[in-house]
Amino acid sequence: MKIDRRSFLALVGGGAVGTALSPLSIKLMDDISIWSQTFRGLPIEVPVPPEGAASYHPSVCTLCPGGCGISVRKIDDRAVKIEGGADYPVNNGGICALGLSGLQLLYGPWRVEKPRKKENGAWKTISWDQALAEIAGKLETLRKNGKAHTIAGIARTDAGTVPALLKRFLTACGSQQFFTMPAIDASFQMAIEKMRGKAAAMGFDFENSSFVLSLSSGLLDGWGSPVRMIAAHSQWRNTGARLVQVEPRLSNTAAKADQWIAINPGTEATLALGLAHIIVRDGLYDRAVAQNSASFEDMQALLKSDYTPAKVAKATGIGEPAIEELAKNFAMAANPVAVCGRGSGREPAALNEVMAVLALNALVGSINRRGGLYTSSPLDYINWEEPVLDDIAARGLEKSAIGSLHTMVETVNKAADSPIQALFVAEANPAYTLHDEKTVKSAFDKIPLVVSLSSYQDETAALADYVLPLQNYLERYQDVPVTGGLKTPVVGLAQPVNNARKDSLHPGDVILQLAGKMEGTVAGAFKWRDYKDCLKATFGDDWRTISEKGYLRKSPFGASMDTERLSSRIDFGPLVNGRGKVPEIDGNKNNYPLTLVGYDSMRIAAEWIGTPPFSVKTVSDNVIKDSDVFVDINPATAGTYGFKAGQYAVLETPVGKARVRINLSDGIIPGIVAMPKGMGHTAYDGYIAKKGVNTNALIGPMEDAASGLDTAWGIGAQLKHV
Amino acid sequence: MKHNQGKKKPHKFGMVIDLDKCTGCGSCMVACMSENNVSFRKDESDKQKSITWMKVFKLTNGKQFPDTEICYLPRPCMHCEGDHGHSPCVSVCPATATDYDHSTGIVSQIYTRCFGCRYCMAACPYHARYFNWWDPVWPEGMKESLNPNVSPRMRGVVEKCSFCFHRYQLAMEKLYLEGRDELREDEYQTACTQACPAGAITFGDLNNTKHAVYQLAQPDNKHGGKPKNPNAFRILERLGTNPKVYYFSSRKWVRNAADNDIKNTKDA
Amino acid sequence: MDSALIPEGVKRCPLPVFILGVLVVGAVLLWGVYAMLLCWIKGLNQTNMNDYYGFALWIWADLAVIALGGGAFFTGFLKYIVGKDELKNIINFAVVIGFICYSSALLILAIDIGQPLRGWFIFWHANVHSMLTEVAFCLSCYFAVLTIEFIPLILENRQLDKFSFFHHLSHNMHEIMAVFAATGAFLSFFHQGSLGGVAGVLFGRPFGFRESILVWPSTFFLFTWSAAACGPCFTILVTKITEKITKKKLVGDAAINTLAKISGWMITTYIIAKIIDTIYWASVTAPAAGFTITDFYSNNGFYGFWILFAEIVIGGVIPGLILITQKGRSNKSLLITAAILACVGVSINRWVMVLQVMAVPVMPFDTWQLYFPSWQEIATTILPVAYGILLIALAHRYLPIFPQEKELNN
Ligand SMILES: Nc1nc2c(c(=O)[nH]1)N[C@H]1C(S)=C(S)[C@@H](COP(=O)(O)OP(=O)(O)OC[C@H]3O[C@@H](n4cnc5c(=O)[nH]c(N)nc54)[C@H](O)[C@@H]3O)O[C@H]1N2
Ligand SMILES: Nc1nc2c(c(=O)[nH]1)N[C@H]1C(S)=C(S)[C@@H](COP(=O)(O)OP(=O)(O)OC[C@H]3O[C@@H](n4cnc5c(=O)[nH]c(N)nc54)[C@H](O)[C@@H]3O)O[C@H]1N2
Ligand code: SF4
Ligand code: SF4
Ligand code: SF4
Ligand code: SF4
Ligand code: SF4
Ligand SMILES: [Mo]
Repeated sequence: MKIDRRSFLALVGGGAVGTALSPLSIKLMDDISIWSQTFRGLPIEVPVPPEGAASYHPSVCTLCPGGCGISVRKIDDRAVKIEGGADYPVNNGGICALGLSGLQLLYGPWRVEKPRKKENGAWKTISWDQALAEIAGKLETLRKNGKAHTIAGIARTDAGTVPALLKRFLTACGSQQFFTMPAIDASFQMAIEKMRGKAAAMGFDFENSSFVLSLSSGLLDGWGSPVRMIAAHSQWRNTGARLVQVEPRLSNTAAKADQWIAINPGTEATLALGLAHIIVRDGLYDRAVAQNSASFEDMQALLKSDYTPAKVAKATGIGEPAIEELAKNFAMAANPVAVCGRGSGREPAALNEVMAVLALNALVGSINRRGGLYTSSPLDYINWEEPVLDDIAARGLEKSAIGSLHTMVETVNKAADSPIQALFVAEANPAYTLHDEKTVKSAFDKIPLVVSLSSYQDETAALADYVLPLQNYLERYQDVPVTGGLKTPVVGLAQPVNNARKDSLHPGDVILQLAGKMEGTVAGAFKWRDYKDCLKATFGDDWRTISEKGYLRKSPFGASMDTERLSSRIDFGPLVNGRGKVPEIDGNKNNYPLTLVGYDSMRIAAEWIGTPPFSVKTVSDNVIKDSDVFVDINPATAGTYGFKAGQYAVLETPVGKARVRINLSDGIIPGIVAMPKGMGHTAYDGYIAKKGVNTNALIGPMEDAASGLDTAWGIGAQLKHV
Repeated sequence: MKHNQGKKKPHKFGMVIDLDKCTGCGSCMVACMSENNVSFRKDESDKQKSITWMKVFKLTNGKQFPDTEICYLPRPCMHCEGDHGHSPCVSVCPATATDYDHSTGIVSQIYTRCFGCRYCMAACPYHARYFNWWDPVWPEGMKESLNPNVSPRMRGVVEKCSFCFHRYQLAMEKLYLEGRDELREDEYQTACTQACPAGAITFGDLNNTKHAVYQLAQPDNKHGGKPKNPNAFRILERLGTNPKVYYFSSRKWVRNAADNDIKNTKDA
Repeated sequence: MDSALIPEGVKRCPLPVFILGVLVVGAVLLWGVYAMLLCWIKGLNQTNMNDYYGFALWIWADLAVIALGGGAFFTGFLKYIVGKDELKNIINFAVVIGFICYSSALLILAIDIGQPLRGWFIFWHANVHSMLTEVAFCLSCYFAVLTIEFIPLILENRQLDKFSFFHHLSHNMHEIMAVFAATGAFLSFFHQGSLGGVAGVLFGRPFGFRESILVWPSTFFLFTWSAAACGPCFTILVTKITEKITKKKLVGDAAINTLAKISGWMITTYIIAKIIDTIYWASVTAPAAGFTITDFYSNNGFYGFWILFAEIVIGGVIPGLILITQKGRSNKSLLITAAILACVGVSINRWVMVLQVMAVPVMPFDTWQLYFPSWQEIATTILPVAYGILLIALAHRYLPIFPQEKELNN
């Protein structure tokens, strides 16, 4: 066969045209292009979210004490987005990173699906009926054996109907052992009670302040009601109000402040009294307050002897001129306010520290005055009839309670036979959040019956004998009382926006049903049909309002109408008696020359809840890298101990040690090691766990003698080379 | 149905972010992830492979303790207009998978057309573009929370902030249904703007003198949108990217940190 | 055993030796293929590229290989268009090298894109403003041309040539080769240029950005020029290596000398242009974007002025000067040195225009990004080298690539 040029070109051309015109390639390309949009049928298939009707559902976020209003966007039955509740009094449309990640907690694989029981160390799924019957049986046995008082309960807080139901249950059983997780609210209440005679919550009218002096309070790092604080800061930017941040570390709050004053940690009370010294010395104080207050002369004497600028400068590490200037600026401001509560201000503070701050506010007349500190009674809407008690209960209640939670842990660990025989943990995670968490674990091991009521498979649930799956906060009704430093306390109403998981129950219903399985007066103490019935009955006439508006709010003056409360009058006596002393941290300086402090961040959930994946994404690689946590130290400290940026180190404290990495930061006072709180979860799963170290594994409790509360904020530490 | 769209002045959506107010809280980042079905992995600590359409940068003044200062700077896509819509990224995309929409000023990203050459990423000086290095996987049950208004992306394509374009589409749909012509300022707001607890982000039409963004930035639309407000600025303005995200700061070091300035021609 | 396939009148090593060599190179090739499959199946997470470093090692390899493969079009251009007839002795080999380089480049691109199944979108949804579109079109067309140029060489295999159809086909193709060479040269000027434009148009990346001449940034012209200048050096180098390995002289000195001389002048003129461009960029373009040249070469652990020096002086001025002198060209070791330096120089140029562009911080609060490739990237980058060696070995053994071989070795 001979090919000439013609036939050659025809062949080549024809082939090309033929292929191009053949529908095969076009069809194939079209198919590929459509299929590669989702990879249908492959393990890598990309989901196509189903369409549907959009709707918005109001509720309240309970992921922190902030109590923000939220609005949940749904597509048919699916909740697809959480937004801030517009016009809600607390947050006015804003919302934090954690609140926005709430759906990940709702839908995540860390939910407890079914009631579970630990048998010989292995988990077994059981029915609700069996779980409650078994637990009720064990409680009955304890009661019959005269051990009613060894039944205990832990709740996150004592506010609201859910903790109240648990407390009522314990009372009906015959136990006073109701514990709450340590919280600053207790310190505030106690300080107000001591200095003003009647317990009240502390609120702040930040929106109208003109000068805010923050003593290590992370006002923009999660303090109080976090979204409200950030909004207040924006308002300060508009009004020109000044924020002075006194803190060992350049936190986000310090970064946003008009002035950052680095202070030696733990000396905030000393500074407050040092400022008081200058204010009194220079006659810058409110005369009316001085006249009406008790023990003002004693206070004057104390300030004069113990809190001279020179002494205060030495203790705090702040120069005398800076202290003098700060005192004057504070006192001369139109509406100054001083605030305390370290970091996110959730953990209790030393009583004398809070009293010192109260005194400082009193001296400038900022108590119950525009822009100042407000004292107000919490909303008291829970007025249930006292439960009828049987003999067992009455005898049990004669036995005294252990007191605070950390004492309970200590007592259980020390006792041969645990003074607590049954423990209910309702939506708290003490195995993660209490200082020196390993002592919590050993204590729980000694308690024969530990029941965790939880939505999530958290650290405490892992230690329990029974785990009872709860509805997540987006699946249920609940009253959400908010103090969180609000000027006016608010009670919000959480409402179910999503269908509850099949096998989960409301914590209130768990208690009601458990009581139902018990005999006589215990069952009799709960007359409500179910939790919703209880909630409605509790609010009575106010139910309509709260279910329509989503919240209830009283005027601050309505709650504190007596004239004494309206003034800044105060009794300096208790402060003078304690001479303003606060407890010292653990660890002698020779072995532990550094100080470890935990810090809070809006991007990390530091409390009972794990930080959801979305929030984790916002955490910098200077904080967490792979599974390692970074500690911040000043380059000078790094120089002293021979560390370079990024290097591994062993951080050791009297309580424990951990492998960390070094982050050099100019935003920290030398001698301090700062570590983020909220990392180092071991429960949940890889999205939340296996990232860094829990600060509570390194910091032990530090009891404040004046209040009996655990007020640890840090601990002696050393950094060693690996 | 087209109404008088043709006759109207086109929109030019943009943002002003007040750095004096931004606290670095991260809400904008998470709001964006949740709104836009951004995928997530167990370990997101490799920040150069972590998809964050909105990313909050942390700037420091470089001074030593105790004179150190920090400023947070949220960075969405700047929706650069470049010179007449020749954004750095749009002009380079070989497959027209990203486009400059002249009626909104929005730089779109068409995931199903992108074939993952990453040229646009090389072109974007703001690192606003993210590549899907992995297949997106939602843990059991978590697909429930996906927003149907935004398609999840597949492995191997680039994604970025869309100024929540789907919200614009929903707003426009409503507008047409109600037979109105003018989109109200509050009808189209982005998820990050809405979430920010500080109210630091303002979003709106830079072509509309009544909108807050216009009043805050005072863009000189005749001179490439340069802000007339002395405390307002844009990042890397010198490059001619002509971004539509403006920043505001009363601190000079922050304003100076926005652009490379060897001649020190900025305000003294 | 395979003597029937071997061109007439030439000597080849024994088959077992050849097979052994093929096995060794084949193992490396398989390693590369494995890495390539990993990238396709598991995705680009197999690489160390990231959102800051979206272009990396193999894009450099791509650009470098295209620049080095430039010997094919430029030699073709010189032979068929300019009429340098002595180049007929090296043109076949230049085509083979070009074919290897360009097929490798296309393969690398297919591995590099995140959605290989959508690769054709670049043609279907083409954006005329994009340099990459221009690259894709010209590159694929030129690859088609190279294939067409390569086919007759294959058909000249002793056994294939026996079929009269193949014989005539190859004959006909040869006759119209000038048309293809011209087309190839034309396409090459464009895609080499548009590859230069890839970084040159990035006005968001002041390290890469260059101002425009006509509608193209200066790098457009510089890339074409440098490929034309250094590509022939690569052809010479590979020829010399092949000669060394086969222990035979394959191409006559006249062809090499002509090529080297033209290459020398091209390099010299190129490097002058490059120096002017660099000065203009450093003193006008970059400062307008707020950068001093020092910003690009300091504060990091790798990129210093040394790389600029290595590219321009060591890889440009020196080989240029060697090759324009008769003495330099005729001294074998100087010639080889110059060819190596020129190849290194152009490779460094492609490196900085890809990798350093990604590394330099642009936002003042950004930091330098340095990256080290993963083994999968290294393996996929070595893959084309192994493939090239294999193809050259096969072509040399079975095809009459070197018309002078018989005469030079008798
Ligand atoms: N792949 C892909 N899917 C899409 C879209 C896309 O762009 N790509 N776009 C989406 C959008 S925006 C839309 S609006 C939808 C549109 O989706 P559809 O509403 O499904 O629109 P059409 O495909 O136009 O089909 C309408 C049907 O109505 C019939 N029809 C036409 N006139 C009349 C009439 O007078 N009476 C009756 N009874 N029937 C009539 C037509 O023959 C046709 O069968 O698709 C959505 N889906
Ligand atoms: N011939 C014909 N015309 C039609 C119709 C038809 O069936 N046939 N259908 C009509 C109907 S029902 C409709 S709804 C309209 C649709 O008309 P258009 O609204 O114009 O729809 P598209 O062209 O799909 O997309 C609009 C733009 O959105 C961009 N885009 C896509 N995804 C994103 C993103 O995530 N972010 C951003 N910022 N941009 C994005 C695209 O690049 C494109 O520029 O067309 C109408 N016109
Ligand atoms: S601040 Fe607290 S209450 Fe408010 S949204 Fe965030 S987590 Fe929820
Ligand atoms: S949400 Fe607002 S305050 Fe928070 S980081 Fe983003 S812009 Fe800043
Ligand atoms: S910021 Fe980057 S991605 Fe966004 S428009 Fe500008 S260049 Fe494109
Ligand atoms: S990665 Fe996608 S969007 Fe970016 S340039 Fe390539 S095809 Fe276009
Ligand atoms: S505008 Fe929308 S897409 Fe862009 S960063 Fe904000 S939330 Fe994300
Ligand atoms: Mo539509």
